[in-house]
Amino acid sequence: MVRTDDGVSRRTYLQLVGASSVAGITATAGCSAGGGGGEEITPATAPGFPPFEMKNDAGELIGFDVDLLSAVVEETEFTLGEWEEFEFSSLIPALKNDRADVVAAAMTITDDRDESVDFSESYYSADQAILVADSGDFAPSELADLADGKVGAQEGTTGASVVTEQLVEGGDLAEADFNTYGSYVLAVEDLVNGNVDAVVVDTPVANTFAANRPVSVTFTYETGENYGFAVQEGDSDLQSALDDGLATVREDGTYEELTAEYFTG
Amino acid sequence: MPLVDPAAASQLGAVVSQVPSLPLQASPDDWAFVWENRDYLLSGAGLTVALTVVSLLVGFLAGFPAGVVEAYGEGALRSLVAGAGVALRGTPIVVLLIVAFFVLPTPDLRLLGLEVSGGFVAGVLGLGLRSAAYQAQIFRGALRSVDDGQLEAARAVGLGRIEAIRRVAVPQALRRSVPGFQNEVTIVLKDTSVVFAIGLSELLTRSYDLFVRQTTAVLEVILFASLIYFVLTFSTNRALDYAESYFAIPEGNA
Repeated sequence: MVRTDDGVSRRTYLQLVGASSVAGITATAGCSAGGGGGEEITPATAPGFPPFEMKNDAGELIGFDVDLLSAVVEETEFTLGEWEEFEFSSLIPALKNDRADVVAAAMTITDDRDESVDFSESYYSADQAILVADSGDFAPSELADLADGKVGAQEGTTGASVVTEQLVEGGDLAEADFNTYGSYVLAVEDLVNGNVDAVVVDTPVANTFAANRPVSVTFTYETGENYGFAVQEGDSDLQSALDDGLATVREDGTYEELTAEYFTG
Repeated sequence: MPLVDPAAASQLGAVVSQVPSLPLQASPDDWAFVWENRDYLLSGAGLTVALTVVSLLVGFLAGFPAGVVEAYGEGALRSLVAGAGVALRGTPIVVLLIVAFFVLPTPDLRLLGLEVSGGFVAGVLGLGLRSAAYQAQIFRGALRSVDDGQLEAARAVGLGRIEAIRRVAVPQALRRSVPGFQNEVTIVLKDTSVVFAIGLSELLTRSYDLFVRQTTAVLEVILFASLIYFVLTFSTNRALDYAESYFAIPEGNA
């Protein structure tokens, strides 16, 4: 039981190919800065954000981000190692401390994050959707209307910061009327139970919800946010390789196939 | 002959799942989903147990001597041990884990033919050291509960100070520390869920994976996971109850 599902990490891989265990501890920085052909990079994500990353029936990691990053890295000189899974808020620490080389986790490119990591070109654009329960009579049509109700969001997400910046900080919404959750599934559970009146969440995820729970999108709030793959600061080899790979999969139709697979039906 | 007509039962299931407004209701479909994924949850529970056992062991190996030092030691060593304990008890477990995993950083190991991931090592380090700090207090309290007169008596019959502690105080203190240790076992067991932050998928992480897949099954998945935690805590507590009475200090009217 000691062996976990994480698979062979880069460090184990190094040891297997003969590097000493000391190299396993210390050689990791050289690993990501080397830029040699076929170099293995460790991807990381935070499962639980369908359709971008989730687990399938066999407990395997799947999703748009997972397939897209695989396709993109396929077009580069790098090879993709085993995925590491973290809480969303642990992803940037994982990059900064060399536990991962690239993050694909529906991560919005923001100035704050850009200060500690580097991003690829945007690979997806999203807005925030406002979900309400089908059984309720709360029908907000713009952000200001949310001030009349109780609002929920997943902590650390753009949805949460929209509510904080637009409503709570201005004094329109009392802090006590804003609940954050560890998982947006719990936020929607509270919405269905009537404990909150609206939930703010990224549009593609909201649509997945509207399809399988008694909730619907009442309006969207345009943030024009862009998701990017995050890499370690200064890892420009990987960054530009990902940009080139991204351009290639957009041109050859792979990108379109993946969006069709994950975002329709 | 089935007790309930299956067709009627599935119809009932359909009707129940169409009623959206009842809060936190359990639907048969969602229970079926939990049952289908029992192996997935149970292997997560396996990791939970492994983390708990190894962390408690690390906690005991470091915490017991620390408790002895805090109870009977003096000078710089005692201050050092007590200070480390205060720091470990005063730090949130998630911070300890993140330091162990991201700052140290713990390497992957091969032990006795088993591959142990760096995450597991960090998890054991964080949970184990924190547990050591708590266990030290459990043992310190138990040691202090042994009357000083007994140690004086031991010295009077010719035992050295260390010998007196080892042969007179420790055997009694270990027996008296069982109830406190029981608490610590259940606390460590449930705190293993924090290792999600460093990428280990134990029981609670796997529960999250499941209800993200079937978002109507939140209550069912959480109840099932709670049941597993309950079985684990209940059985270890009963085992320790038994150990306590088996090793109890014999008393006159027993």
